[in-house]
Amino acid sequence: MLRSKRATMDILLNNLGFEALEHLDALFGYALALTRDLTEAEDLVQETYLRATTASHRPDADSNLKGWLFVIMRNAWLNQVRHKNNGPRFVELETGEEAVDDTQENPHVVYLRKLEREQVREAIESLPDAYREIVVLRDIEGFTYQEIATVLDCPAGTVMSRLGRARGKLRKLLSGWQTRARIRAV
Amino acid sequence: MRNCDDIRGRLTLYLDNELQGEERATVEAHLAKCESCAAVFTRELNFLNTIRESGPLHVASPELRNRVEQILRIEPAHAPRFRFTWLVAVAAGLLVLLLPVLVWRLVRHKEPAPVTQAGNFALMAVDTHLRHMRGQLPLETESANPREISDWFVNKVNFSVQLPNYQESSGQEKLYTLEGARLVSYGNQYAAYVAYRMKERPISLVITSDSVAKPSGGEQIASKGLKFHYNAIDGLKVITWSDRGLTYALVSDLEERGQQSCIVCHEGTKDQDFIEPLKPH
Repeated sequence: MLRSKRATMDILLNNLGFEALEHLDALFGYALALTRDLTEAEDLVQETYLRATTASHRPDADSNLKGWLFVIMRNAWLNQVRHKNNGPRFVELETGEEAVDDTQENPHVVYLRKLEREQVREAIESLPDAYREIVVLRDIEGFTYQEIATVLDCPAGTVMSRLGRARGKLRKLLSGWQTRARIRAV
Repeated sequence: MRNCDDIRGRLTLYLDNELQGEERATVEAHLAKCESCAAVFTRELNFLNTIRESGPLHVASPELRNRVEQILRIEPAHAPRFRFTWLVAVAAGLLVLLLPVLVWRLVRHKEPAPVTQAGNFALMAVDTHLRHMRGQLPLETESANPREISDWFVNKVNFSVQLPNYQESSGQEKLYTLEGARLVSYGNQYAAYVAYRMKERPISLVITSDSVAKPSGGEQIASKGLKFHYNAIDGLKVITWSDRGLTYALVSDLEERGQQSCIVCHEGTKDQDFIEPLKPH
């Protein structure tokens, strides 16, 4: 018997294949959320895939490939930022900011349904870095709290509270824009 | 029954599908009975849908997609650039002619060469062959013309691929056809993958730089100044060898024993007399 099963598996694992490519747009969107720069985002996407192809430990076939790629991307980005600025740019938003009760306020939410998608996108992109990131991870990419906690390397409770504040901020932005649009229309 | 404040405090978790079992059922039961909370729920749901339906926020450019596709095929190349002569290409193409010699050595060798585990390049070639058969590695160019395939590899791999039309040059009947080619990755380099078919049975040829892959393992057979490594992996036959800066792997499922593939390939040709004694009796 000439076959080495272990070696065969190693070769198979060397091929991420097209499953990884399915997450390209999602990774690119996340990269833009992190970098806010087209060129840097594209470089970060490529860096992410390069790291993935050379990673010694890869997710099993049934595990979360997308989450794994997002973790790689965020770590790659943090590494880049550390080299540039001696530390990540994110400002800690867990304290010193008024919490927003998502369910109690916002009388203008009915108008949000009429907002153009582009308007929502602009609102998301105008969010502070940490808020934009968590909205992208949860509401655009659909990660669970625990998956986001893994990507961000923070407790799930932090995800929950940060997401609440991010949505509150987003709600205010969208409501404000809508109000201004109505005034201009008048 | 929980009060409205308690339920509303859990609405976000409910909307994010973070509540399970009894907790989820409790919220649903309350919403079914409480119009006020149901209104808040609807408002919140609409808000989240507005955000969620705005995605995807961005789409990668075709250029980025192409670059990523290349990364997934191959990691960045660092190996020196290799050129190889037409003689090497001819050597690759003449594998079919060489195999009878290998068989002769296999049959006549009283002391078989030590058998070791298959090398990684052989394993990669088998995996590539299987993935192509499963439709996971479609050909990037399709042609039965060796010149067209050779030209397609120009500027895609760090070596020159010149596939000989050895069926014509050897005067054989056309027992197999060239189907096409694509790039595959191996060891931080592009490798050339060429697909053949013989009587509806696929044959794969993988070529890379010998700085990236060295034939190893299996049965070692020296012939015509070259050292061939023969392996049987997952029912497939793979022969690897290096020559003039390049390493080759040839994979097929032609017969139970590797040497039988060359017999089939040459049967009915002018090589018949040469191969006939090599058939198993």
